[in-house]
Amino acid sequence: MKNRYSFRRTATVLIALALALSACATNNTANNTSNNAAANTGSGAAAAGDTKETAADDTAAAQGGELSYALATSPDSLDPHRSGLAVAVRVIRTIYDSLVVQLPDNSIKPWLATSWTVSEDGKSYTFKLREDVKFHDGTPFNAEAVKYNFDRILDSATKAANAAALLAPYQSSEVIDEYTVKLNLATPSRAFLGNLSQALLGIVSPTAAKKDGDQFGQHPVGTGPYKFVSWQENAEIKVARNESYAWAPEIVKNTGAPYLDGIAFKIVPEEATRIGSVQSGQVLAGETVPPQNIVALKSDPNFQLLSANTVGLPYTLFFNLERAPWNDAKARQAVKYAVDVDAIVKTLYLGTYDRAWSPLTPGTFGYDATLENSVKPDIEKANALLDELGWTKGADGIREKDGKKLTLQYVDATPNREKRNDIAVIIQQQLKAIGIAVNVEITKDVRTVVFTNGAYDLYGNSQVNSDPNALYAFYHTYDPKGRASLSRLSDPAIDKLLEQGLVEPDDTKRAEIYKEIQHYIVDQAIVLPIYVFPYTVAAAKSVEGIVFDSLGYPLFNDATVKP
Amino acid sequence: MARLLAGRVLSSALVILGSLVLVFAILYVLPGDPTDTILDPAVATPEMVANLRAQLGVDQPFHIQFIRYFEKMIQGDFGQSLVTSEPVLDKIVEHFPATIALTVASSLVSVTVGLVLGVLSAVHRNRLIDIVARIIGLFGISMPTFWSGILLIVLFSLQLGWFPAMGSNGWRTLVLPAITLGIVGAGFIVRMVRSSMLDIIDEQFIVTLRSKGLTERAIMYRHALRNALIPAVTMIGMIVGEMLAGTVVIETVFSRQGIGRIISDALMAKDLPVVQGVIFFSAIVYVAVNLLVDLSYSVIDPRVRRST
Repeated sequence: MKNRYSFRRTATVLIALALALSACATNNTANNTSNNAAANTGSGAAAAGDTKETAADDTAAAQGGELSYALATSPDSLDPHRSGLAVAVRVIRTIYDSLVVQLPDNSIKPWLATSWTVSEDGKSYTFKLREDVKFHDGTPFNAEAVKYNFDRILDSATKAANAAALLAPYQSSEVIDEYTVKLNLATPSRAFLGNLSQALLGIVSPTAAKKDGDQFGQHPVGTGPYKFVSWQENAEIKVARNESYAWAPEIVKNTGAPYLDGIAFKIVPEEATRIGSVQSGQVLAGETVPPQNIVALKSDPNFQLLSANTVGLPYTLFFNLERAPWNDAKARQAVKYAVDVDAIVKTLYLGTYDRAWSPLTPGTFGYDATLENSVKPDIEKANALLDELGWTKGADGIREKDGKKLTLQYVDATPNREKRNDIAVIIQQQLKAIGIAVNVEITKDVRTVVFTNGAYDLYGNSQVNSDPNALYAFYHTYDPKGRASLSRLSDPAIDKLLEQGLVEPDDTKRAEIYKEIQHYIVDQAIVLPIYVFPYTVAAAKSVEGIVFDSLGYPLFNDATVKP
Repeated sequence: MARLLAGRVLSSALVILGSLVLVFAILYVLPGDPTDTILDPAVATPEMVANLRAQLGVDQPFHIQFIRYFEKMIQGDFGQSLVTSEPVLDKIVEHFPATIALTVASSLVSVTVGLVLGVLSAVHRNRLIDIVARIIGLFGISMPTFWSGILLIVLFSLQLGWFPAMGSNGWRTLVLPAITLGIVGAGFIVRMVRSSMLDIIDEQFIVTLRSKGLTERAIMYRHALRNALIPAVTMIGMIVGEMLAGTVVIETVFSRQGIGRIISDALMAKDLPVVQGVIFFSAIVYVAVNLLVDLSYSVIDPRVRRST
């Protein structure tokens, strides 16, 4: 009896010990790294400030320090030619430069290219390149490197997606001399220069890209203001100052190396944690602030809210013009007058998002500000339009014609990004008032439902873009062999305008063309523009100098952290 | 004993293989494919999609895809992530330690809290401590972790600043997630230990022991507890599985590295090789823990040892 007790006791103790020990083992090793990490984040600014004390005296701005910046999701790849996620672009922009830069007024200025000429037919661009630029790995930047980059995007082995679409209609490059390169296009495109300014067409180091092949996205090398240091997946991406950087674009003030020692991009998906960590000082800045926090942060003296509206197409609901009865402009206009967009934007985003009025966002070239406040909700007018079309209200309050009910198939994607599913529900309620039965379908498989089957009357989409030519893919008559456009609009007059807009060399004339297109789209109620998405950053007061590029991506060349 | 072990190992291998086939089949029938993630649907042309599908091999029929995968897997090649091209094995090696640390820590919380509260509440049946323990148990079982996790973050990290709200480097980052996840298992163990203790206390041999003049303490801790431990240990095996699954939510809430994050991202992106790889290793861990649990019965309870 006694013996068995002691055996059992030993066994129990042993099991407990084994568990405890294994836990301790992981704890101990982890502990060491934690001390280092704590030094980097918590007191990072102060510690780094000490070592840089002498250097700081030379410049007016506070030199040194590390900026911790919380991202909402994890980048997929840091290879600009392969990534397609906006969150990746925020990091990519720190590592890579582009040939040109687009300023907020939509003018194109030099960056890695010092000057360029466009041929008479608009089909070839000759760039003179900077001669003092080196990639982070020491590879010199030259015409060969540019040629390699653009050919790499065309190469199917790269699996380029969005970059390939941006680069179209690029065909080939010719190296004229070491610092002159000529890019040939298949057809002229006024959107081309703007696209070249985008981070996804950033220039990668040919040496590194050849060496790492498929893995280049985990070991990115560019010419940008920051060098890649490390990437702990789902946790943190670190970049450090590129000391020899001296080719900043005009959009930032600091022409030399950045002031910060580095940036630690932390990946913090949980909204409450991300914003809470900024408020508790665990990180200095955090992106994508939910509307309720925006309101609170704006009134908090200890924090600042940075915000930049994204540019291109706002969040827009597209009618499928091939489906009756919505192929009739009057039916669509009835919906336009019945939907109270202001109420939607105020209810869901608490006034922190701007309402969209046009198929283009403010800030996009050719945006027509006269469209603002051009539409007011008018239930009577909406009802009158539907009466006119012969739809009469049945016993259940839903309109009918020839025994058919007036229904609208509203498709939206899950997950509920930016509360878009809630917009669907509000519109369902609003349209019930004029006798339209809205069937809301939330699907994960947008590609099949919307793009392949076209099984929607209304579907929402937005696009960040540097040029109004973005409208082309959405409103030009589509190639019956290719994929349908979202609106499925087919109007020869609009096709002609879109084609002119793509090539028109004169800016004033070009802007007029796009104004005409915008008016047509709004008058004919081809779409319902809903909101302009603002990129928002909550930051401690000690953070200064973060600026946003023309597309709303943050730039950290001028950023400083007060110790 | 050796035969028992051999049988267990064999059936474990079958379980792992079964899980592989099942997951492969489920992912195959789900709508959409990885090109949805890689290509922006507003930009990609049908040719681009078709080319990419062919490159990734997702245009092949089910059995071809599975055989291709299996052939490589048994050679130790788990393939590459379809999204990032990173070898799946590298990903798992990078992320598994953090998940294991969290699983072990939260299991430890479960077992310690669960056993202590379970025993106390049985010994002091219907007293205050029993009621408190039962409430804690109920809380643990019924509170969703994404909510309790945020509550802990708000109180202990954002307000008091005792522990960091995010990260997976160091024991301090382990405390809050381990409590959040551990309290769930603790809830189950409290109930299990309490009810089995109460059953045993009512049994004849306890009366016999009392009549022999043993102290109440000795009866409870030496006799009742040891007998109540068997169902609790079975529970632990299941709880480890529960903890592994729970990491999917916890790792997101606490911004930790780990396979939970990897697999939820991979599922969203339909990144098949990654999902398969993670399931494979998780299945191994789960099966191994349950194997250990089975074997531990014979250590705790000699009756099991004699009967086999």
